[in-house]
Amino acid sequence: MRYIDPHIHCVSRTTDDYQFMQRCGVVAVSEPAFWAGYDRSCAASFADYFRHLLEIEPKRAARYGIDHYAWLCINAKEAEDVELSREVIKLIPPLLDHPRVLGIGEIGLNKNTRNEITIFEEQVELAAKYNQLILIHTPHLEDKHKGTSIITDILKNDQRINPGRVLIDHCEEHTIRLAKNAGFWCGLTIYPVTKVTPQRGVDILEQFGTDMICVNSASDWGESGPHMLIDTAIEFRRRGHAEAEATRVFHDNPCRFFGQSGKWKIAPLANP
Amino acid sequence: MPNAQETLDQYYLEMRWRCLSLAADLDRVQRAADGPALLKSDPRIAKLRKAIAILLEDSPDRAETVQEIFSDKTPPPSRK
Repeated sequence: MRYIDPHIHCVSRTTDDYQFMQRCGVVAVSEPAFWAGYDRSCAASFADYFRHLLEIEPKRAARYGIDHYAWLCINAKEAEDVELSREVIKLIPPLLDHPRVLGIGEIGLNKNTRNEITIFEEQVELAAKYNQLILIHTPHLEDKHKGTSIITDILKNDQRINPGRVLIDHCEEHTIRLAKNAGFWCGLTIYPVTKVTPQRGVDILEQFGTDMICVNSASDWGESGPHMLIDTAIEFRRRGHAEAEATRVFHDNPCRFFGQSGKWKIAPLANP
Repeated sequence: MPNAQETLDQYYLEMRWRCLSLAADLDRVQRAADGPALLKSDPRIAKLRKAIAILLEDSPDRAETVQEIFSDKTPPPSRK
């Protein structure tokens, strides 16, 4: 089976992870701009980080037959510093035509503060102005429901935003309706601990259907890994779902969402 | 698709393991210095007690209800 990991932070992963993904059949990944494991001190650090996302990781991934794309933004975790955030946002427009950039992301909220909301709105403005796809980070744990509500309300109130061009990521049992009922794409992020497990991820797919849902591993700085995507597909198949349906979820859905960028090169395997 | 019996057969050992794991977690807190007092006073333990009670109900959406117990219910920050 072929897989796409639509949300993975390759910057934080070892080469062994690329080898593992290749062995499992992962053919492409998308890497949202996020926290680097520490708070950066100046906008120049972000300029280097964006170069890493657009030049270094695609080369690293290509050695293992994996097509690597990226998203640009200032992440919610560092958006508390409004002044720094605005300096970083200025770096983004000249990079939006890069063939590896799929859109603006992952933008959103972390602790649901006023500063985070300000910078989130400014980046939604950027996406609207340049007609970019949007990838949304929703907060984790106790902040998730409130943050997802704030984010979806802001997006729904902006007439320029087409929900079919926005993916609300890290959805869980109590937030997926907020995204799905408003016509947004949804992301399920599967972790070994603390968040959605492979079993719960498949429960959500079974309860809410597989349309407009992408499953990812995030594979970030915490306890996580590319195997979570594969484990979820195995759980999906173990419950009797056909391989064609698994391909639709774990390969074709990301292709359909990312395909709207005009830059994504991989076609869905079913009804391309 | 597996039926209910097959589903339970598939997951039972894992469910049992999770239940034991939580029991051992609570025992560990209880054994530590000031454990019994903390178990009575910490709001996180109160939320766990509430969540565990949900597991014993017959509702079909236990996971969503438990998520709500652990969610921040305060209003969004005021806008500038």
